[in-house]
Amino acid sequence: MSGSKHATRTRILRLAPLVLLVGVSFVLTLASPQHPETLDPSAAWAPPSAAHWLGAGEGGSDLMLVVAHATLRGSLLALCVSLFGAAVGVPLGALAAMMRGRVEAWVSRTCDLLQAFPSFLFAITVLAAVRSPTRLHLGIAFALTAWVPFARLALAETRVLRSQSFIEASRALGATQARLLGRHVLPNLMSTIAVQLGATAAAIVVGEAALAFVGLASSDRVSLGCILDQGVASMLRAPTVLLVGALSVFALSSSMMLAGRAADR
Amino acid sequence: MPAWTQVPPTAARTPRTDVKRARGVAIAFGHSVLSCTAVMLILATAVFLALRLLPGDPAALVLGDESSAQDRAVLRAKLGLDASLPVQYAHFLRGLLTFDFGESIRKPGIMAGSRVASALLPTTELAVIGVAFGAVFGITAALLANGPWLGEKKHWVNRVLVMVAATPLLALAPTLTFALAVRTHLLPLPGDPDAGLSGLLFAGSLLGLPLGAHAGRIGAAALSDIADKPFLRVARAKGASNLSVWLRHALPCVMGPLVTVLGTQLGALLGGAVVIERLFERKGLGTLMIEAYFTRDLPVLEASICASGLLFVVTQAIAGALHAAVDPRVRA
Repeated sequence: MSGSKHATRTRILRLAPLVLLVGVSFVLTLASPQHPETLDPSAAWAPPSAAHWLGAGEGGSDLMLVVAHATLRGSLLALCVSLFGAAVGVPLGALAAMMRGRVEAWVSRTCDLLQAFPSFLFAITVLAAVRSPTRLHLGIAFALTAWVPFARLALAETRVLRSQSFIEASRALGATQARLLGRHVLPNLMSTIAVQLGATAAAIVVGEAALAFVGLASSDRVSLGCILDQGVASMLRAPTVLLVGALSVFALSSSMMLAGRAADR
Repeated sequence: MPAWTQVPPTAARTPRTDVKRARGVAIAFGHSVLSCTAVMLILATAVFLALRLLPGDPAALVLGDESSAQDRAVLRAKLGLDASLPVQYAHFLRGLLTFDFGESIRKPGIMAGSRVASALLPTTELAVIGVAFGAVFGITAALLANGPWLGEKKHWVNRVLVMVAATPLLALAPTLTFALAVRTHLLPLPGDPDAGLSGLLFAGSLLGLPLGAHAGRIGAAALSDIADKPFLRVARAKGASNLSVWLRHALPCVMGPLVTVLGTQLGALLGGAVVIERLFERKGLGTLMIEAYFTRDLPVLEASICASGLLFVVTQAIAGALHAAVDPRVRA
């Protein structure tokens, strides 16, 4: 059918930017095995050239290599945290909606409360306890609030699903709560959850970069936010650094959002 | 007289409905105060626990690993870290109520609370300008996307809004600053001490841009929902101008969703304020927080995080009360 063919093509097109971005970064990191922060002082703040395609940053680090490494590490962090958020939030929200009553009210109220929570502030708060945060610390700080939108979404969607006739029917046939959830509710949530996965992953990419930008980079100092930080400091000398940093944050976050919509019809 | 000629009783504005309205607003305000207190308590407890329960001695964090055990013991006593955890927590909560977090470690003699108080004003200015700009930008965009002023071009408004909303502030702010301040010299450079008001306005409007884009999208969608409703046609038939139809008749109906968006974006706004302050090297809560983080000035760190939480909570409560004031369904 031409309709489903069209849908498949849309899906592939929506996934393409992220796959391309991560794929190219992966190839680049494999192609040049040196550490991204390898310095070459003679090339400091150099504009783009044949040797450094995107130019060089502070101390002559090759920007393309740094961007590639930062993209890979940033997207891995975002993927892990948003999957964790979905794994905690979706069952919680769906279960609460199936149980109705007080549990539902409490989960719903907690989500409302945490939804508008200043999560960036919360991350700084949690990171205050460590001297120099590793990527694991950053992940934990984000994971503490990442489950909330998933729980909210699952709760709202399950509220609609639970009164539909196919759920009633299988309940009448004697399906247990767990079977109802696993076989009938969760599969119907998937496309919505995928969109939220993309949005959460994008928010974490930006959040990690923002933390690095204000100085709370992970201890390896490889982050898109660090590139932006250098770029702001060298705005007059080497504007390419700033533009490269801003563009790569934009590219990674928006391609993640788009990829999340691949499962959407 | 046939029944259909009778005018239905309208909700007359009597003193009694006024009292009911005020009570509704007060109850909604009370609800938001409750949930705000909860947010505040969570945030404050998180700071408290992060510094005390996680592995690592706070005194060693402050003084460095080479410090002597005696020095650390003195500092621990000064920070009250030698008491038991419940006692410390009670002490902390009392400090929270009176906003007394003890003396700054790095600037002895200055209370942490007063350092934070002096940083609160610049951040509040920034946030107020951000919210004001966001509201004006969002409402204007929403009206332009639905009104007749742009003709067929009005579909572009939505596209632009989607693009602005999808661009993280972190990428947008430095790029716009580069374009406007470095390339065209329209605006002062970041960190320019003589930037003054235009610098503040620029920084504030950058902060409000994503907020405005979100508000604009929601507002435009809400306006297009009511665009064909009979009451607007009646207003038009009675000869109201386009401006009056959209501003006086349509806009009040979508104020509820608009205020809600502004409320939910406040947390993001505070995070954005940290980035903007860092970008423009402005003094403020964010800069103080980061400085306290790096110099390990624990009382100042606690105080500044609690103060930002307070700022968030107060603005959230205002947004809640505003919502109740414009939308009777929230009051109930």
